[in-house]
Amino acid sequence: MSVWTIVSRREFVERARDRGFAISTAITIVILVGIIVVSAILDRGTRFELAAVGEGSDEVARAVAAAASLVDVDVGVIAINDAGTAERAVDGGEVDAAIVDGERVLVRGQPPPQLVALIQGASIRQRTREALLEAGLADEQIDAVLAQGPLPVQSVEPVDPRRQELSRVAFIGVLALYGQLFAYGYWVAAGVVEEKSSRVVEVLLSTVRPSELLRGKIFGIGGLGLAQLLLISVVALATSMAIGRLEFPSGAFAVAGLVLFWFVLGFFFYASLFAVAGSIVTRQEDLQSTMTPLTIAIVASFFIGISATGAPASTLATVASILPFSAPLVMPTRIVLGEAEAWEVALSVTLSVMSTAALIPIATKVYARAVLRPGRIKVRQLLRGV
Amino acid sequence: MLELQGLSRRFGDVVALDDVSFSVPEGRMVGFVGPNGAGKTTAMRIMLGVLTQDAGDVRWRGGRVDAEIRRRFGYMPEERGLYPKMRVLDQLVYLARLHGLERQDATAQAKRMVELLGVPDRMRDRTEALSLGNQQRVQLAAALVHRPEVLILDEPFSGLDPVGVDVLSGVLREQAEGGVPVLFSSHQLDLVERLCESVVLINHGRVVADGRIADLRAADPRRLLRVEVADRAEPNGWIGAIDGVRVVEPLPDGAIVELDEGVSETAVLDAARAAGRVRHFSVVQPSLSEIFRRAVAR
Repeated sequence: MSVWTIVSRREFVERARDRGFAISTAITIVILVGIIVVSAILDRGTRFELAAVGEGSDEVARAVAAAASLVDVDVGVIAINDAGTAERAVDGGEVDAAIVDGERVLVRGQPPPQLVALIQGASIRQRTREALLEAGLADEQIDAVLAQGPLPVQSVEPVDPRRQELSRVAFIGVLALYGQLFAYGYWVAAGVVEEKSSRVVEVLLSTVRPSELLRGKIFGIGGLGLAQLLLISVVALATSMAIGRLEFPSGAFAVAGLVLFWFVLGFFFYASLFAVAGSIVTRQEDLQSTMTPLTIAIVASFFIGISATGAPASTLATVASILPFSAPLVMPTRIVLGEAEAWEVALSVTLSVMSTAALIPIATKVYARAVLRPGRIKVRQLLRGV
Repeated sequence: MLELQGLSRRFGDVVALDDVSFSVPEGRMVGFVGPNGAGKTTAMRIMLGVLTQDAGDVRWRGGRVDAEIRRRFGYMPEERGLYPKMRVLDQLVYLARLHGLERQDATAQAKRMVELLGVPDRMRDRTEALSLGNQQRVQLAAALVHRPEVLILDEPFSGLDPVGVDVLSGVLREQAEGGVPVLFSSHQLDLVERLCESVVLINHGRVVADGRIADLRAADPRRLLRVEVADRAEPNGWIGAIDGVRVVEPLPDGAIVELDEGVSETAVLDAARAAGRVRHFSVVQPSLSEIFRRAVAR
């Protein structure tokens, strides 16, 4: 086993074993599952309960249910014997409205407008039918006159339900990536500071090269971040599918895959920079200020990433999806929504990999020079001769 | 044999080490002595590869020391450091693994070390939960856990209580008897005198004397006496009256004095008897601090 894998194993195991880590993972999963379940409940189709009391009400109620089903509304009809019971049922909220004797509608306070409109329509139709019968028309004639379907509705802008769902899933993906990049980048920086402030780094450097120490740290922490992200994705996808929330599971799987892939690219890009931010200070309190440029870059990319879920073709989103510092938070969305050209993806990945490859040796040098010096150090000083 | 050959190192305009050469034979305990800022820590860090030298070589058993060989060295830095949140045993296993031990061996060794240093009941605790004294013991365990071929310790005795000093002395002696070259720095010269056969004295980045303490003493041509005269308001006032006798170290009830050539011990004794009741009169060997003072003055 090479030295850096021993280092990375410690980074992974020590952090995974930490109670705080288990708790935060659990909280993330609970929140995510909660969001999925709650949104599923809120999004369930509209349903009304309608009571029919007295003569003539039942026919109207059934006509309401029939008309409602044409516009994707579910209406349940309950027959109630007397008006008193119906009133109590309305008052208690067990039914949304009651039709009494086919001639008045009982509701509680502000009635649901959609239901009232449906009842009015059905009632007018019923009364029209009766009027036509009285005028001497035959049943078949009346049916022929009244059997009119709803007008077709034509959207000027085409609606793609698949795209809507994907954009929602992409939003969650961007959120997860942002949290993960930030948390695990911070861990790299804080881990470097911990070794510096506890001064264990001198013991380590007497047997490990700085480059091995840094590589082990980045791989260990990144591996843990990836594992946690994988766990969260699996739980989220499984929950969504179990409650039938996903109409297009293949799209959600694609998002999950892209999130994992771009986490790797983004984490390696940012990790070495976070390590530098950590290596130039000795106290955790000073870390916030040296991390500020990285914080700004990630937060800005996050907002661009969020806007890209709604407008993936904008110039801002297109440019940001190619630049290495923002690509991880923007490109996955554009890919999923089918807005990214193949060459854009190839360019973005290549730039990410190349800039990371260029960054790591520089960061390693700066880290190696800074890590044994006490106090706050200027990066410019350390870059001399790199 | 661990050898330093012509080590030099500057930090900007400051010369930390200037052509430093000495050696530590296998099985020998060598004290590394010098004032603050003399270059002891810099020299040790270079031996461990934590710092690089501008010139010179570190050799072990005749070969130049590289990263692979250094993994078999044991080191205790002056600024103690362990992972505060890591459990004691895990920490020692981890360090042993970094030094190249296989997992099983590392675990067995780590357990042996906590036994040996008397902290076995704390091995599942986080390091930060231990008292400072016990953390010191773990630090020593960290330097020894991988059965090092060479031991380099920077101020290992600082901050230890007398019991801790005895434990550490015993462990270091055992290591040296097992054939390990042990080099340690210390400001407690009496301790160095008691523990070490040899010393290296360093000042302003240069070695000012090195070798067996007995040889350094023998090479010191000075004649020193310890004299105490009782019942005097000013115990050493009479000494100034004798020509060719100087106080080199005042003591609470007397002094260590140096005799110039031509002055006889009896002349001093006569003067002492004339001054009052002589309670102590003896020929003494120069102490390590005497040897050091003289070497620095040269």
